[in-house]
Amino acid sequence: MNPPIDTIVTAETPEGISIALRPAGFPVRCTAFLIDALIRIMIFGAVAQLLRSAGQFGMGLLLITAFAISWLYPILFELTPAAATPGKRTMGLTVMMANGLPITPAGCLIRNLLRAVDALPLFYGFGVVSMLLRADARRLGDLAAGTTVVYRAASPRPGSFAAAEPVAPPLPLTARQRAAITAFAWRAQRLTPERAEEIATLAAAACGAAPARDVRLRLVGIARWLHGQRAMPPAPIASPGA
Amino acid sequence: MTPLEFEASHAAAWTELEAMLHRPERELEPERFLALYRGSCEQLALAQARGVPEHVVERLARLTANAHQIIYRRADFGFARLAEALLQRFPAMVRGHWRYVAIAALLLVGPALSVGVAVYRQPELIYSLVSADTVAQFEQMYGPGAEAIGRVRNAGTDWQMFGFYIQNNISIAFQCYVMGIVFGVGSVFFLCFNGLQIGAVAGFVAERGYGGAFFPFVATHSAFELTAIVFCGGAGLRLGASVLSPGRLPRVAALQAAARDTSFIVFGAAVMLVIAALLEAFWSSAAWVAPRAKYVCAAFCWLLVLLFFLRRPRAD
Repeated sequence: MNPPIDTIVTAETPEGISIALRPAGFPVRCTAFLIDALIRIMIFGAVAQLLRSAGQFGMGLLLITAFAISWLYPILFELTPAAATPGKRTMGLTVMMANGLPITPAGCLIRNLLRAVDALPLFYGFGVVSMLLRADARRLGDLAAGTTVVYRAASPRPGSFAAAEPVAPPLPLTARQRAAITAFAWRAQRLTPERAEEIATLAAAACGAAPARDVRLRLVGIARWLHGQRAMPPAPIASPGA
Repeated sequence: MTPLEFEASHAAAWTELEAMLHRPERELEPERFLALYRGSCEQLALAQARGVPEHVVERLARLTANAHQIIYRRADFGFARLAEALLQRFPAMVRGHWRYVAIAALLLVGPALSVGVAVYRQPELIYSLVSADTVAQFEQMYGPGAEAIGRVRNAGTDWQMFGFYIQNNISIAFQCYVMGIVFGVGSVFFLCFNGLQIGAVAGFVAERGYGGAFFPFVATHSAFELTAIVFCGGAGLRLGASVLSPGRLPRVAALQAAARDTSFIVFGAAVMLVIAALLEAFWSSAAWVAPRAKYVCAAFCWLLVLLFFLRRPRAD
């Protein structure tokens, strides 16, 4: 089997199921970091404004605030159920253990303490290099803590098969081929007809001796048949006003 | 069984599980939830193996992953675990890493003592170690007429210093720890560097005859501060050692194991540093406390710290 061309990594659960994780790459994490930086600066500015009148006592509290913002901000937010700082949340990211489990407090602590190493020698140099070199885009802190930053699972897009007469495939297909054909048929309606036709010709061999221009419809038909339909479904009732 | 039949026969269970995932966790019925989760695991495996359409697999995978997150979520990091981590795991890990801790202690104390003695004998040496401004600051902090010991004049109140000490000390300790990942070199450097600084100040101040203010000042909080820095340095050396000689593990796995173990040490050391900052800001610097009282308190603190880490480990 060819290596996959996307960056999905799979994590195996104790039940023997593999869960697909979509690692977040450098640009999106950089954006999340900048959003967080903005929030941190605003918090610090607000606290500084509040404590201005408190004199030396206020200065002390401000120093504690600066400490909390730089070290505790990511730790606290990543221990919430969302397991993400506001910046990561905005970008649709979340932190979890590399095995697909929710992040543990120890993991969270380590990955955030080791920011100090990732930040070396300048501007997160080590962290950025590590993220760019690794397919799963983990920085050194992630490696030490066994954590990873991934995209929150998006809700699946609703879809349906295009209209076509169900046809039995003319030759036996493997599971992967069947999956590819049904995935194509599911997507076909969101593609332009030309593009759909273009993709469909790649699978022309699976359609037997169909005329070239019918390949797309034949594929959808095969997908419908594979999916379990044996006859053309009754025409959908036209919605009122259509 | 065609995918259509497959989907039809399990759709009810999937919808039920999806509905459960949207409700607050405490409302879940554990038996039903687990049964549904096991079912979805089984069906996901089947779906992946049989080439069921991608959208069905995706829905099922998402459902399973979300339920998996809830089932394996660690919801028990409460106070009991916190106390256990601090009072049991932390000293146990320090004892378990006593070789690293001993090396770290040598790396801090060695330079401190030798530089201290050298500066005491030849005070002008201090100018090759720290800048002239810093030396002037030392004179102000520990010299006669300091209203609060250990501070530059007008440095601020106890609260201000508390904030500064936390920031400063924890940064130093974290540096000693995390820089260890660079083959341990970082830990060695920061331990030696800090030992050198401490030795330079102590030697200089003692030579000038300010020791009466300096030593009572540092005696108490150093029980927590220096030990915490040594522990962090030792933990950093362990990180470095795991990178240098990972043994039978791959390097990354060895580093992960080292980080897991030492995280307890760093966590405990951070708590010790907060205690040290409290003492340093409110007790050590108080000029109204007699030096004798500070020495007694210091002896008590050192004893407390030593006993805490040397006491017989609880059999478990």
